[in-house]
Amino acid sequence: MPDAPLQSTGPLEGGPVIAVDRLSVTFPTTGGDGRVVRDVSLAIGRGERVGLVGESGSGKSLTARAIMRLVPRPGEVSGRVLLDGVELGVGATRDPTKWRGRSVAMITQDPLSSLNPLVRIGPQMTEMLRFHRGAGRAAARARATELLTAVGIPDPARTLNQFPAVLSGGMRQRVALAIAISCDPRLLIADEPTTALDVTIQAQVLSLLERTTAEHGTAVLLISHDLGVVSGFCERVIVMYAGRIVEAGPTEQLVSAPAHPYTRALLASVPPIQGELPERLPSIPGSPPLGGARIPGCAFAPRCPIARDVCREVEPELRAQARDGHEAACHAAGDPTWEIPELASTAEALP
Amino acid sequence: MSQVPTPQQAPTTPPGGAPAGAPAGVHAVEVTDLAVHFRVRRGLGSVHTVRAVDGVSFTVGRGETLGIAGESGSGKSTIARALVQIHRPTAGSMRVGGREAVGLRGSALRAYRRRMQMVYQDPYDSLDPRMNVLRTIGEGLSVRGVARAEHRRQAAELLERVRLPETLLTRYPGQLSGGQRQRVSIARALAVQPEVIVCDEAVAALDVSIRAQILNLLKDIQQDSGISYLFISHDLSTLRFLADRVAIMYLGRIVEHGTATTVFAEPQHPYTQALIAAVPEVRTARVGSRPMLAGEPPDPASPPSGCAFHPRCPRATDVCRTTAPALRRKASGSLAACHHAADAPGGTA
Repeated sequence: MPDAPLQSTGPLEGGPVIAVDRLSVTFPTTGGDGRVVRDVSLAIGRGERVGLVGESGSGKSLTARAIMRLVPRPGEVSGRVLLDGVELGVGATRDPTKWRGRSVAMITQDPLSSLNPLVRIGPQMTEMLRFHRGAGRAAARARATELLTAVGIPDPARTLNQFPAVLSGGMRQRVALAIAISCDPRLLIADEPTTALDVTIQAQVLSLLERTTAEHGTAVLLISHDLGVVSGFCERVIVMYAGRIVEAGPTEQLVSAPAHPYTRALLASVPPIQGELPERLPSIPGSPPLGGARIPGCAFAPRCPIARDVCREVEPELRAQARDGHEAACHAAGDPTWEIPELASTAEALP
Repeated sequence: MSQVPTPQQAPTTPPGGAPAGAPAGVHAVEVTDLAVHFRVRRGLGSVHTVRAVDGVSFTVGRGETLGIAGESGSGKSTIARALVQIHRPTAGSMRVGGREAVGLRGSALRAYRRRMQMVYQDPYDSLDPRMNVLRTIGEGLSVRGVARAEHRRQAAELLERVRLPETLLTRYPGQLSGGQRQRVSIARALAVQPEVIVCDEAVAALDVSIRAQILNLLKDIQQDSGISYLFISHDLSTLRFLADRVAIMYLGRIVEHGTATTVFAEPQHPYTQALIAAVPEVRTARVGSRPMLAGEPPDPASPPSGCAFHPRCPRATDVCRTTAPALRRKASGSLAACHHAADAPGGTA
């Protein structure tokens, strides 16, 4: 176990900032075997931007929460998370407050739920700086002003005295980002950071996220249901389905030559904003399984247009594909004897 | 699908102009100079008027889909809520099936609700958790006066139309997936046999793989039944796929209006152009290299002078700061409210 090879690693220099090794999350209360995250392994290099894509129940957000040690009870986490080679939750890192918010920071979909509604922005920002950095009151205040300026808040002095609720969604996300980067983290986990924002504000926040993390060499794990958002931001993309990684690879490679039928369907089922428009949308029947459901063989097989008997019996391993760093968990991937038809344009609910 | 106008046919009545004088029954919906204003209190005693919708005119043809796009606060959902009589218009006219819908009460209002149904964004909130699918759809059937003995058979037929098995009739919303719930919402709306369904962000809460199924389903239903949709969405890709014509809204007003084909291929208003450019798509340019709109939408309680978009507009000049542009026919064939988009030759809408 300690020397288990890490899957999904791309080209990394000087070792990964974060390495996740066979992470699983189990909820005894859900149906099936309750494993809502199954053996997820990934690694992110310094300053690298990696996207984690999946639909509801795919386990993408719980993967992030497991890394942050924020899985609510009665959830159980197994597997290891290494930050710069040091295992989190063991010895000196047993107390999460030693590294959470400092070395690994997180922003969420709705900053209203992560910011304290009863406390002005200023104290919420300086608390981090004073706690993790030991900054004095005045120094922390000055640094907070600098950070708000850096994230494009027009009047930082005024914002420091405001409550979160009076800010717009875009401004709140800027504040959340300012707090997240205030201690210069090694890794920033951004869980659906722009999902609640209008499209023009989304573009602003993504651009800001890219600029601020690039300046500090901060690695980013961007979690999103939207392959469009992820592919415009990340160098590498990981696709999850039913708690497992089903495909991972460099963004270019993954979007131009997806190896897994699920990735292919995700890409095809979004209508294009320009160019040729299909009369009907290619789609896959049915719904993703509920988190924790135990499905024999490949979890995607019941919805898969090319599934054969083997898919319903044997769970496919995440295997390396022809191109460097590209992996897929599909029996058909890379097998030239497996015919891959066009996706149907179904309106069906059930297969 | 025959109602898609060519660029020569005016798709709307121009704001402030007389109704087009089309014979009753041509349009499923004809909205003229609609205004919905709200009085809001800010702090102690100060009352502002928010013009959530102001001088909006459009039509929806029979069997046609009109898409209304815009960001939060643009007024798009207020239009939907005015049409289903949740908000009372401050001014203007809403004709549905040729009959005036503003100011209806009592039995006339109930009759109106039979012609106009709504599908909401969140099927978790819009279905009663204590009612099974049969009762949910049965409510719609009762509105139409269908005898109770007929409910099971007709509800099963409606489920078939939304591609759900009859076995779901006895299930409760909590036992259904998000996609199944939204199909039940559509079946409930269809049970009333309305002329128009208003879809307010009806696919926004669904997962991508489910969204495609529902969009295909909505197209199928329209092709089979000739129903009209007013489809309200912040998602331009969805509107491009589903809508015959689109209206782009900003701060309570339509800033561009035309066939979906033209608006997406040749957007005239800088706001429409910015919205299209901001759509995150696989295979488009990387985040940092995309053109980007600065600033945020202004406070609807104190809108900017002149063109409401001017503080964010890359092309704004002095005239934009002082004079609100009228919605005029542009060279592309669409209507747009911009001083800097070239008018159609000889055309003033």
